[in-house]
Amino acid sequence: MRKRHVCALLTAAVLAGALCAGTLSASAAEEEKVLHIAWTADAQTLDVHKTTSNYAIPLAVFDRLFEVQLNDDGSSELVKSLLDDYSISDDGTVYSFTLKDGIQFSDGSALTSEDVEYTFTRMFALEDSVQTDFTSAIKGSDAVMAGEADTLEGFKVIDDLNFEITLDAPYASFLAVLATPTCCIFSKDNVEEAGDDFGVVPEKTIGSGPYMVTEWVANDSLTLQANPLYWGAPASASTVVFKIYPEPSTISMAFQNGEIDILDCDSIDSAVAETFKINPMYSDNIVYANRLATTYLALNENVQPLDDVNVRKAIQMAIDRQSILDAIYAGEGVTVDGIYPAGSIGFTEENQGWLTYDPDGAKALLEEAGYGDGFDMELSADASASASVANVLQIIAENLQAVGINATIENYDEAAWLTLRKSGEMPSFTATWTLDYNDPSNIIDTFFSSPDTGTLRSLNYADEEVMARVRAASAIVDEGERLAEYAALEKKIVEEDAAWVPLYTRQHLFIVNADTVEHFTPHWAGYSDFNVYGVTMK
Amino acid sequence: MKVILKRFLSIIPVLLGVIVMIFIMLRIVPGDPAAILLGEHVSPDTVERLTKSMNLDQPMGVQLLSYIWNALRGDLGMSYTMKRPVTELILGAFPYTVKLSLMAAVFAWAVGLISGIIAAITQNRIPDRLFMGFSLAGVSVPVFMTSLFLQYMLAFKIRAFSLTSDGSLYSMILPAIALGWNSAGSIARMTRSSLIEVMQADYIDTARAKGLARRAVILGHALKNSMLPVITMMALQLSSMMSGAVITESIFAIPGIGRLATEAIQKRDMPLLQGTVLFTTVIVVVGNLIADLLYSVLDPRIRKEA
Repeated sequence: MRKRHVCALLTAAVLAGALCAGTLSASAAEEEKVLHIAWTADAQTLDVHKTTSNYAIPLAVFDRLFEVQLNDDGSSELVKSLLDDYSISDDGTVYSFTLKDGIQFSDGSALTSEDVEYTFTRMFALEDSVQTDFTSAIKGSDAVMAGEADTLEGFKVIDDLNFEITLDAPYASFLAVLATPTCCIFSKDNVEEAGDDFGVVPEKTIGSGPYMVTEWVANDSLTLQANPLYWGAPASASTVVFKIYPEPSTISMAFQNGEIDILDCDSIDSAVAETFKINPMYSDNIVYANRLATTYLALNENVQPLDDVNVRKAIQMAIDRQSILDAIYAGEGVTVDGIYPAGSIGFTEENQGWLTYDPDGAKALLEEAGYGDGFDMELSADASASASVANVLQIIAENLQAVGINATIENYDEAAWLTLRKSGEMPSFTATWTLDYNDPSNIIDTFFSSPDTGTLRSLNYADEEVMARVRAASAIVDEGERLAEYAALEKKIVEEDAAWVPLYTRQHLFIVNADTVEHFTPHWAGYSDFNVYGVTMK
Repeated sequence: MKVILKRFLSIIPVLLGVIVMIFIMLRIVPGDPAAILLGEHVSPDTVERLTKSMNLDQPMGVQLLSYIWNALRGDLGMSYTMKRPVTELILGAFPYTVKLSLMAAVFAWAVGLISGIIAAITQNRIPDRLFMGFSLAGVSVPVFMTSLFLQYMLAFKIRAFSLTSDGSLYSMILPAIALGWNSAGSIARMTRSSLIEVMQADYIDTARAKGLARRAVILGHALKNSMLPVITMMALQLSSMMSGAVITESIFAIPGIGRLATEAIQKRDMPLLQGTVLFTTVIVVVGNLIADLLYSVLDPRIRKEA
């Protein structure tokens, strides 16, 4: 009965649709390489000064002075992009840059030092700018932000191709910062002319990158076309369509139907991703990328008995990190023993391998610290987090219980969880920090550079001397010396002081459609956005 | 005329009430919208700056009054996340929702009425039982089940349709059926019971006694008189479809009003959420008004009473 009804409907529907279908197939016959990507939510604005989420489109449409290049061995390095040359003064405060000659925006106008100056000034001058943190080392940025100056004191235009940036103090990660989406270079004429439409209306958003936005239907799709005036190697896909599929199940079906060329496994249900991984049709076409993120279990040193270093060390030893990775994330990732994510600049092999799962050792340490009978410990969970995160916490709780610690999971709604964490009073929790820019200072400064940062993250790391060293490290001009200091600090903070339990760096999986895609290099993944330019089509 | 005017005026307090309620509710919810928007990777100073530029540092009364004042002039503010005027976003999304709802309504009306009539005239016989069993399934299966089922069977397995809608009429068929399924079931049941009730009235016997054929009696007399509650229901369902297309729009990736609302909720985009709620309220209120007016057009007795 049901079948008959459905059949009747189907017949009617097919008849009704026959006409429309005829016209559709005719338009698809054009010869061009179109790349189809699925998104679960729309991009917000392409004006990176006004957003901190989804940088995929700005990364493709605009250029930066530097770029992070992902090597085949999984490591990453900083390379020049818009720049022809640069030098840094001996005291590490004055940066002299020379732009490549002949670079044009997609409207044909030249990219000059003046555009770079305008971009950096706007970053601070804009009332609703959200990108004032990483670049605040530039001299005079405070005055522009406060509205006291119209020009950026630390920025000097020499001629069309040469300019100088002066910093308040040496800040060695500045070059890495210049490679972030925050520092996309805009066209002064374009931004001034477009006003509020900049970043929102495709034809009023001009960049010098490999792609141009040609169409954007809110909540539906965004289309890119290769920029014919691009100065670098032309992009392989001539058209890229980002279509928004709010339902993960629709995305997995669309991929199997061949409607999506590169599938971001984050956008589908993890159980479905698992079936794709073992399906011979897809198993050879999986691309893995490090996320450049460290997941950790925080231990609040203001909460008893976590103030006892032996208790913290016992907790480090009590947690079976590899089993968590295997059980929850199908082994997609590597355990890390420090602060810096695997694959990032600053990550060293020397600081790895010291932390092993040792429940007996943990018990012995607890005994020694006077907690042989265990103690009560709260693990605070953000109830809005994914099921995997909740499961990770569950395993951690069981690991702790196995060595006699009475760990219980307390659930908070997202806002309450954030508020409690910011207050510095959350006892223990897991979270992940993804690098904003590829430099060790980004993560170590966030957690261990001052008592204030310690409070914000509910870690309350106590060693003032070490924190002063963390602050000083960013001023070390010699790169080798600086990285050595960061490695030493990592060893001190995590191995000796057990300030947190380092868990792992997860991997990001993509599945490519082998019929259409030849090769895919993900972005260096600090922000895990889709790298359109890294795609080679068949 | 006076009645219509009176009904129109009664809309105003409803809308004001909705604005005030949604405004207050959104501000009682814990969590700083600026902080949620920016995530954990920015400094507290930046959050503060953004809060100020979004005018969230002002007293709630001031915010509410300026919102109402601007809304009266058609300005519903800028979306926090999309950085575009809310009015523009809503007007861009509305045609998709209208198309979907209208198609779903046409489907529901046609299928519901026809199966309801067939069931009524074959009362307690096999066709009746079949159709009513079917409509019970229609009423009780939730929209997301119908949507996923139709999508999986007809778009993924058989590939007669596309998985998602590109806005063309053909690609809207599946989502429209999914959305109209429930309503079709309830219209069928309502038509059936209303028709059966009317068929037992004295004037039907009179008509039959005059020698009119059974078909003429049903179509000419019974149907007309039994349609009153059904038409009201149909009008109400159209407006509730426009506001309730959220799930269908998500599954079939249609960029309509429902999607705007869910995005706004997820990202705590208050102006956008206020805008979509206000807009759907207007739709529902106007839908009810039309239903009321239809009622009085169809039944002269109601006109007189008013």
